[in-house]
Amino acid sequence: MDLRLLLVGLLLGWAAQAPAQQISIGLGGDVTSIDPHYHNLTPNNNVADHIFGTLVHKDEKQRPLPGLAESWRPIDDLTWEFKIRKGVKFHDGSDLSAEDVAFSIDRTGKVPSSPAPFTIYTKQVTEAIVVDPHTLRLKSAAPYPNMVIDISTVQIVSKKAAGAASTDDFNSGKAAIGAGPYKLARYVRGDRIELVRNDAYWGPKPHWERVTFRLLTNDPARVAALLAGDVQAIENIPTADMARLAKNPGFGIFRTVSNRVIYLHIDSNRDKSPFVTDKAGKALERNPLKDVRVRRAMSKAINRQAIVDRVMEGLAIPAGQLLPDGMYGVSPRVKADAFDVDAAKKLLAEAGYPDGFGLTIHTPNNRYVNDEQIAQAVAQMLTRAGIQTKVEAMPANIFFSRGSKLDFSFMLVGWGADTGEVSSPLKSLLATYSKEKGMGAANRGRYSNPKMDQILEQALATVDDGKRELLLQQAVDVAMADVGVIPTHFQVNTWAARKGIGYTARTDERTHAHAFVPVKP
Amino acid sequence: MNVSDALIERAPAAAHVEAPLRRFVAMYAESRIAVVALVVLVGILLCAVSAPLISPQNPYDLAQIDILDARLPPGEKSAGGMTFVLGSDDQGRDMLSAIFYGLRISLGVGIAATVAAVGLGLGFGLIAAYAGGRVDALIMRVVDLQLSFPAILIALVLLAVVGQGVDKIIIALITVQWAYYARTVRSSALVERGKDYVEAARCLRLSPARILFRHILPNCLPPLIVVATVQVAHAIALEATLSFLGLGLPITQPSLGLLISNGFSYLLSGKYWISFYPGIALLMTIMSINLVADQLRDVLNPRLSR
Repeated sequence: MDLRLLLVGLLLGWAAQAPAQQISIGLGGDVTSIDPHYHNLTPNNNVADHIFGTLVHKDEKQRPLPGLAESWRPIDDLTWEFKIRKGVKFHDGSDLSAEDVAFSIDRTGKVPSSPAPFTIYTKQVTEAIVVDPHTLRLKSAAPYPNMVIDISTVQIVSKKAAGAASTDDFNSGKAAIGAGPYKLARYVRGDRIELVRNDAYWGPKPHWERVTFRLLTNDPARVAALLAGDVQAIENIPTADMARLAKNPGFGIFRTVSNRVIYLHIDSNRDKSPFVTDKAGKALERNPLKDVRVRRAMSKAINRQAIVDRVMEGLAIPAGQLLPDGMYGVSPRVKADAFDVDAAKKLLAEAGYPDGFGLTIHTPNNRYVNDEQIAQAVAQMLTRAGIQTKVEAMPANIFFSRGSKLDFSFMLVGWGADTGEVSSPLKSLLATYSKEKGMGAANRGRYSNPKMDQILEQALATVDDGKRELLLQQAVDVAMADVGVIPTHFQVNTWAARKGIGYTARTDERTHAHAFVPVKP
Repeated sequence: MNVSDALIERAPAAAHVEAPLRRFVAMYAESRIAVVALVVLVGILLCAVSAPLISPQNPYDLAQIDILDARLPPGEKSAGGMTFVLGSDDQGRDMLSAIFYGLRISLGVGIAATVAAVGLGLGFGLIAAYAGGRVDALIMRVVDLQLSFPAILIALVLLAVVGQGVDKIIIALITVQWAYYARTVRSSALVERGKDYVEAARCLRLSPARILFRHILPNCLPPLIVVATVQVAHAIALEATLSFLGLGLPITQPSLGLLISNGFSYLLSGKYWISFYPGIALLMTIMSINLVADQLRDVLNPRLSR
């Protein structure tokens, strides 16, 4: 007995003396690969930020900052020139040069069986010219004002290490050579990622010598790990535990509005839609969702504040458009529809559906914060307005592949604007679907308005920031007047850390180990 | 204990042929716990059957529930003036109503699956025992193969393939369970087959079907009843597990497992009632079935008779 006590005491003493400069962080999303060009997924991109790094970094509000490129400028309408930072070394000691950057941009299109390639951001780059080891010119076929923002998503790998490397070589660590603040020590799929500090990093030296990302995708387990001291910080505090953690003086909470809008995508294109029925469940000949009055009625029937208060427990902001206030391209004229069941019923009657109709909402059940609960709440609200709504939930991988095959009529989806401005959701969600143009890639409702397309195209070719913003705002006005999608809310990103550790909350959901810093309690 | 003892045991029973039921009841009632369990079970069955009549609310009608009533603690009143005796869940459903309706699904699925699986197992077991030889070997190897996999694994794979829904869950449960019955029936049928009365029936040149169903089958039933009762509880537990894992029924029609799963994330934050009460209901159901089954086994097993 005494011996056991002694052992416990020794262990505790040892734990207390362990070097303080290491941190374990509980992540809420699964990291599917270390290969930074394999899967455009926020958790993957987050880890890549530590190991690799991009030409253009972004601050916590997603404003561009010099990264591996010191500066950039357009030299004519079709060419951007990037000055590559001098003296940057990869983890293996070799120098970063423009060749590596050109290689990385090219590699985005060459990763086999990528589930979500980065080509949406590199497609418009027609040519990468290496002028000298520290100057790179990127050419496009048409004026491309978003070049800098788009290229900021591409992680730079070492041409030497990644030349012929496969995605597995990155996962094993062999090819995971970057110029980021941390080196990969170990990646255990579905479990953890261990990083060690890169002491030769070009930027400010991170505080933590060793970082362990634990992949704790189960919400209660993540909170339990924080409370038990297994991890010192977690991302994505489950809404159910927010109130309790906020009351606990042993932890600090950091939060900011997210660039992610949760919205309902509507099949507004087909004459017959698979999940639109009459109230008895018989397929309808005419798709009521094509009528803008019906879509407006649905938007009015949704009590956004109730979703925010009750389902999200306050950790969200009601949404009337694609990005929260203050971000580039947000229209000052568009407000979220006020909750008004009577107005909704009236609109439905005007559109010829006084008794409503039947509908099924499809939702992922493991992708967004409280996704299936939100879908159920929406179903309640629509049912009360007369649209009898069923809910079908499924895992995200099945949901997205079926959604892209246009299997659904009405679905709950989210969109995080990686670029931090409104052209990203406009291009992906609302522009008329066209594989050739790379437009409407995630337009699973096939909303289409030529007027919107035309304004958007004009905006995308406008180099002047002020004029482009005005055009983007107009495009938002058109799409929202059509109720192309029904935005419900913006997520709030949250982090919790032990007392004594501070964090700068980011709009882009990234959990950067180097942004956790010790603070005086 | 040997065969002659059993025969002696049976002799007085034969003498009181007019009251086997009374004897059965008397033997069952010897265990006080079993009687309590039976009463509880009957109560639960009544709640399940009459759920639409006694529930304060229809928890599956989206128009009747309101997100604004979400997660109210037990005893709280809703905006509409209804009292949530056991609180409400994260969608604003009355927990009491949800439990009644959930019991309906759980018991319905459990009993339906068991009845079907008993039928299937009985058929294959009898055929295997009576036919013997290759047929027997074939059926029993399939049974062996199936029993070597954990039930939950088979059910998970099956549901992943066929999709979701009440019918699919029942199919999965039948698939998982029929093997137990087949094996039970076969073993008792094998014992019966070698007995003199079967020999006598054969000598009378009765048809195999008649021998099987009129002579052997009734004598195989007691062990089958015991196994089936225990397996109902297993089926309910398995259904709850599958629902808890999100593979079961539609989320707008939660069964007990899904209710527990919904409340699971609130356990640490003090909102215990979403998981706790459905958990208690499930526990009471399974326990009472098991206790009743235990006592049935004791009563129906001649070897355990005093």
